[in-house]
This record gives sequence, structure tokens and C-alpha cells, in this order.
Amino acid sequence: MNNFVAELNELIKKYPQYKLELGYESWKTNFLRFFQSMTNYNITKEVKKLSCTIYKGKRLFSFKMVNPNINELKKKILYAEKFIDDLPEDPDFVDIENDKEITKQGEIVDNTEKINLKDKISILNELSNAVKPYNFKIYGTFITNYVQSFIINSNGVNKEYITSPIMLDVKAVSDKNQVTVIETYGSEDFVKFNLNDFKSRLLNKVKLANLPIIDMEPGKYEVILGPAAISEFIQYLLYGSSAQALDTGNSCFQDKINEKIFPENISISDSPHNDRMIRFYYDQNGHTLKKLDIIKNGIFKNFMVDNYYGNKLKLKKNGNMGTNIVFEPGDKSFDKMIKSVKNGLYISKLHYMNFINMKETTVTGLTRDGTFLIKNGEITNVVNNLRYTISLIDLLKNITAIENKNYVLPFSTNYSEFFILSSLMPSVTVSDFNITSSTKAI
Amino acid sequence: MKELIKKIINKLNIPEIDFADVRFTKTDNEGIFFERGSLKSVSSSIGNTAIGIRVLINGTWGFAASSKVDESVVDKLIKNAMESAKEGSRFKWDKIKYKVVSPTIISYEFKPKEDPFEMDIEEKVNFVGNIAKKLTQNPKIVHSYAAVNFYRQYKMYANTEGTFVDTLLYDTSPVMFVMAAGKNGVQTRTFPGHMPGQRGGFEVLKKYRFEENSEKIVKEAVDLLDAPTVTEKKSDIIIVGGHLALQLHESVGHATEADRIFGMEISYAGKTFIKPEMIGDFRYGSDILNIYTDSSDKRAIGYNPVDDEGIPARRVDLIKNGKLVDLQTSRFTADKLGLKPSSNMKASDASDVPLIRMTNICIEPGEGTLKDLIKDTENGYLLDFTKTWSIDDNRNNFQFTTEIGWKIENGEIKHIVKEPTYYGITSEFWRSCDRICGPEEWNFYGTFNCGKGEPGQIMHLSHGVSPARFKNISMLPKE
Repeated sequence: MNNFVAELNELIKKYPQYKLELGYESWKTNFLRFFQSMTNYNITKEVKKLSCTIYKGKRLFSFKMVNPNINELKKKILYAEKFIDDLPEDPDFVDIENDKEITKQGEIVDNTEKINLKDKISILNELSNAVKPYNFKIYGTFITNYVQSFIINSNGVNKEYITSPIMLDVKAVSDKNQVTVIETYGSEDFVKFNLNDFKSRLLNKVKLANLPIIDMEPGKYEVILGPAAISEFIQYLLYGSSAQALDTGNSCFQDKINEKIFPENISISDSPHNDRMIRFYYDQNGHTLKKLDIIKNGIFKNFMVDNYYGNKLKLKKNGNMGTNIVFEPGDKSFDKMIKSVKNGLYISKLHYMNFINMKETTVTGLTRDGTFLIKNGEITNVVNNLRYTISLIDLLKNITAIENKNYVLPFSTNYSEFFILSSLMPSVTVSDFNITSSTKAI
Repeated sequence: MKELIKKIINKLNIPEIDFADVRFTKTDNEGIFFERGSLKSVSSSIGNTAIGIRVLINGTWGFAASSKVDESVVDKLIKNAMESAKEGSRFKWDKIKYKVVSPTIISYEFKPKEDPFEMDIEEKVNFVGNIAKKLTQNPKIVHSYAAVNFYRQYKMYANTEGTFVDTLLYDTSPVMFVMAAGKNGVQTRTFPGHMPGQRGGFEVLKKYRFEENSEKIVKEAVDLLDAPTVTEKKSDIIIVGGHLALQLHESVGHATEADRIFGMEISYAGKTFIKPEMIGDFRYGSDILNIYTDSSDKRAIGYNPVDDEGIPARRVDLIKNGKLVDLQTSRFTADKLGLKPSSNMKASDASDVPLIRMTNICIEPGEGTLKDLIKDTENGYLLDFTKTWSIDDNRNNFQFTTEIGWKIENGEIKHIVKEPTYYGITSEFWRSCDRICGPEEWNFYGTFNCGKGEPGQIMHLSHGVSPARFKNISMLPKE
């Protein structure tokens, strides 16, 4: 690996007429997927890939290679030389990243080796046996990844980082009626995993899942959003805090820097170095990441700005990408939050959310994996999954209580590149949450 | 490569392994993206290789894959796959069994009229650039893009039953988009809509007639800024084009994937409201509704002569005269349900495990033209061009918003409406279908972006539809 990276550094020097931006990644996974309390499949997979962008003035060409070698890379550059002068310019391009600090970040622990399949199977057997007396089975994934990345460019950027995230996602599903509850674990260090705690949290939820099932009518409800549910809403809202959204006219935060939009107890940041979470050190261009306040005491503070949009929009770049969103805890215990709801809902998780109008932050989506009725301060029923149609800005404005603890929520970007990210979220109470229909099913 | 694949199959033909297959893929992608008339990226990813080995031991799958493809990785991959299966079988109470399937040997090569990977980059860039420039002329258009993705994949599949298949396929997916801004917010228009993917090369890009449609979408986006919204809570709707394809995709396509019945996708994509006992009996739609899957149709993106576990391509009726009669199945799920495998197991590339995936799911055409259908509609809306889509994890409760709708009164289109939103329950919705247009209005609509599985896979697939009318559908007026 390092020989190849040294070769890449040498190669860059041979093309002073261009600016080159190179990203080299060695990625492997041990990925166990299970259903009905048994193995579906276990995957071991290794991929080495290189991305390269060649800039000549304001003209650019990008390509990707798997299993790259220097000779093939030179051939690709030679190929690009034939036409790059004939491509139209990008008038908004100024320069590539110039954060020159040479750094190496990340622990060199390979969790794909450290946690073997035998250990994973033993843990799953124990969890499966724990839920079995309640007539539940477990479904989910147990993933360990190892990623070594290098970002190098002609401006002297030279970054390396290693990450080896772990994610255990367990859904307990009732054999009787498919009522589902979920428990997750995510970190870079499996020593932090406490199987008994995990099992106990899962079983507490399984017990609630045995409550009678009811249906709810559309209407506006007081709801407690569990950490996974509020996490997903925040991720959608923060699309609007990217400089790209600002540039394309889709940002709900346009002209709102330093404006108080939300209640004072709401503070949300991107904290890539928070060691409770799966950490990120650089953006895709090699810019060093730091904590960024996005909403501080209800005031919108900063856009997330990469090198390109920083230059284009004349904003200070920070490279933040929302990989580690932290919602600061409040002052209410979870029990007190439940007790204060007279007639409302607890929503564990969301499904298939989509924007109706990104600028207006209107979205629709559904609840999943545990929706419950709260009556006079107690959880009394399982509720069929529900559809909501809301404005995310209004959702945050309507937060009336924030739990005094926040929890690590791992999640994967499963659509193209497989990354494991995490957020740190408390439960929140929200008033006037708009339920627009019922699925009439679990 | 053929020799290497055969060598691997020989190594896997041992008594300890009940069944095994090997796939090799070499995938090429090229993308051109213009934003507000300026070229933002030309990207290419050529010759991406992958090999994947899947083994069935003790009724359990093990799978190992690598982007490096040569003899040096083979033994390690076989070892990893076998260990995964053996260790995984310690967490298993029901074994996967495969009924023997006769071997198939097929070679198929699609030849595009204009191979985009053999053309000069400048020619392709200029073509898209000309479209992009036309989108920027109106001052109310604050954002626009024009883009195209070209795709080519060579695949070899072999299994221990003697099946050997190799295919070379080309797909192209172009799109253009504009966003207009005014005092009432922003409105968007996209063309050709949500499912622009087609089997073919550069000729696909020409077929869509982007230049003449660019003026149309610019005008529509600007007009939408001041357009009224839907006010009714119930209305008849005619759904056309790519949006009907998406409605079919979400509420029939995914719902009839048999792996969802067994909870194999609960951890991510979700379940289905369909239960085994509903097959052959459940009224999914109205009497006029006939829906089938056909992986043997060479015209469309989902064509696949043999699926990724050795089942030859075939047409299977899913809904016949409104009744659910079959599902999209794998060999495992078909056996469990007493059905014949439908040839729907596919993986995005060789480094992915095959899953039940849609190929070409189509609504059989009915009769008449769209013009006739509009004329026959007293009061309602015509809807196309998806803006928002959302459906629950049982594929039962959906809500869709389109970018634009056209109000119909007394058989005539009167005016446009912005962001019309409708919602419903899958079977109630399809039972309300009272007319489907004829073959003259029937087309394929394809996507490159159907996500499923973990690690996630993106599948190319298509849907054949002609416009259809649905009666008394719930609408969501904008507050």
C-alpha cells in the first residue's frame, strides 16, 4: 500500500502542467446478514480503488480505477491529455484543496480480523435465545469494516486515515404479528460493547411490543421521537445547511446566518472527532475536519462548505459533511418525558422519507420498528405504522422537551458507497406532529 | 477468463459443497454533468473488474468477493466463502435446499447503434452541453442541469450444475432538470422524468429529443410558480409515463418480491403485505389489470438470459385479471412457496450477492389512446413527472407527489396544477383502475437506481406501461 502511495506522490510531480487530485482506498468488509434467527449470508469482500481528477486551468476530467497500478494510471492521464484542452471550462472552479498539513489519523485496529465470525454467531445465538421465549426472532446485520484511505494532490495535500467501524443492528420481530423493535450498537472499539446491556435494552422493548395493537386516526399529536427518529429528521433538515443546497437555491437556511430560528435549547453540531462516535478526519478533498456549530442555542450559525463551494460562494470552507451530527442533550429524563404526555405517540424509527419541497423542508414518510401510544404518561399500546407529512423547520420549532442523555446511532450510507456513520441523539418531545394516514398494518 | 472460471467451478465441484456459483463482471461507466450551462464533471470508470464465489454448505450460504481477479486470489476466496458458510450454519434452524436445474449455456451480446464507449468524448460533451445551454436562457430559472450516464457490463456466470452464461449489455440514462424561483417559492421540472433509462447506447440520448423539450420544461417550471394547487380531497386521476412506472415499481414490483415474505429484507428494504396464502386468491386490482414480469424481453433493461443462480429468463404472470397469481422468486423462496423460480435473482456486479430483483415488470396494455381517455374523464387530473415518492415497509401505504398535474374538466385539459399529491393503500388503489390505454401508448421506462440489499446494490430495471385511470383517489391539498 505505502509503496503505491509513494509512487502516486512521485507521479504527481511529473505532471506540473496539471493539478491532480487522487484518492486511494483499500476497503474490506465482513458482513453478516441474518433473518428469522438464522444466517442469511456472510460476505467477505475486498476492494482497492483509486479516484483521480485532472485539472488543467478550469477544465477537468475525472476517472476511477479498481486495483490501480502506476502504469495504468499513466495511460489514463495520457488518454485525458488528448481531449482535456477541448472540454468546456467550469467558470466557477478556482483551485483544488490546499490544506498541506501531512497527517495520519485513525487507530490501526482491524475489526474485520479482531471480531471473527465465530464471535458474531455466538452473540447472535445469545440474543436469539433471549427473545425466543417471547415468540420473537431476530433479523439484521452485524458488520465490521476496515478502510484505509489516502488523499493526495498537486497542492501538497497528503492525508491518510484508517477507520474500522462496527455496526450491530438487531430487529426483534414477533412471530405472531410482526411487531418489530430495534436495538443498535456502533463504534470503533468492540471493548465498549456490553452484551448484557444490549440484551436487556432489547428485551425491554420486546416486552412493550407485546402490548395490544391499535390504529390511530390522522391528526396532530404530541409525539416523543426516539433518537433514531429525530436523527433521521435532522439529517434531512441539514441538507439545507450544505453550501451546495445554498448554491442550487434549495436551502431553507438561505439569508438566515445568525438568525434565531429554533428554541434556545436546540444546539446541533457536526463533531467528526467525537470519540463516542465513528470518527471522520478529512473531507473527500483532504480538508481537515473540526467541530462545526450548525445550530447554537436555536441560532443558525454555519453552512457546511467544501473547497469548491467555498471558492464559488466566497464562504469560509470547513469541509464538514454531516458525518457526525450531535444534538446536545436537554434537561428532562426520558421517564419524565413519557409521564408528561397525556395522549400522544412514541416513534422509534422512520421509513422511506422524501422531500416534497426541499426549500420549504416539507417531507413525507412513515414510522417503523416500534410506534406506541402514550396515554396519561404511560405506554399502553403498539400502534400500526403511520404516515406523517410535516415541515422540518416547524418540527424543530415545536420541540418542547429534550432528553438529558444522547445515544450513539450508527447508520449506513447503503446506496452507492457503503460507509458506516453515526450520530449522537437524545429523544425529543414535539407538539403538533401531523399524522396524515395510517398504514393499518405493522 | 473463461478458463479461470471453469477452473474455479472444478475446484468447487466437491461433495462438501451442495451448490456453488461464480460470477465475473467487468463494468464500464461514463458520466457527463452540466450545471447551469457549465461542464461540472466528465467522469469515467472503465474496466472495473470483480469476482464473486458463492457456496452452499450445510444449507447455508457463504460468499467471498474481490476486485482483483486472477488465479492468485481464487483459493483465498473459496476458503473464505466455505468458512463463512460453515460458521454461519451454527446459526441456522432451516436449511436451504436446491432442486437440480438443467444446465443452460448461452452467450448474448447487445450491439448499440452508437457505442458511447467508442465515441470521442468531445462529441458526447458537446451534445449534452448544447442541451444544458438551452436551459439557462430564462432569468426565472435559478438552477438547471443536463446529464447522461452510459453503462456497459460484461458478465460471466457459471455454476456447479454446468450452466455457463456470458452477456454484454449497454444501458443509457439521460436527464435534464430546471428549477424556477419566484415570490411563491421554487418549482421544478424534469425530463424525461423519473425513469429515463433505456437499453442502448448514444442513440437513446438522441431519441428523447431533448432540444425541443427543453423549452417546454422551462416554460412549465416558470408557469408552475403561480399555478394553483389541488383543492379536492378525492379525485379521478390519469397517471402516465415514468410516474406510472414508479407507482407500479413501488406498490407491485417490490411488494411481489418473495424474499420480503420471509423477512430476508426486514433489516433494510422492508417486508410486504402479501402472505403466502394470498397467492391465487387475493384481489390485487380490478378485473382489467394484468401485470407480469418478463426477463426474456430483449428490448428492455431488465433482459437477462439466465439469472444469477442459473434460472433461464421467462415471463411470469404476477396479477391476472386483477388476482395475485405468482411472485418474483429465487430458487429458495420458490421451493418454500411451491412455485417455479421466476428468474429474478440478480446482483449488481460480481462482488455482490444475488437478491430477488425486478427485471421488466409490465402492465399489459388495454385499449384506446390517451386522448380518448382524457375525453372520457369528466373531472380529474392527469399526473406525470415524479417529485416525491414514499411507501411503507409493507408496500401498502403510499404517497406520491408529481412536479406537475393537468386539471381535466368535461374531457378537456384546462390548466396546470403544482405539486399534486395523492395517497392510498396499494390494493384499494389498483382495484380502482378502470381504464388502461392501448399498445400504441405503451412504452418501457427504466431506472439505474433501484436500491436493495445490504451491502446496498443498485439495479438497472424497467417497466412497461401505458396511461391508466384510477377512480376516486385520495388527494392531499396543500395547506
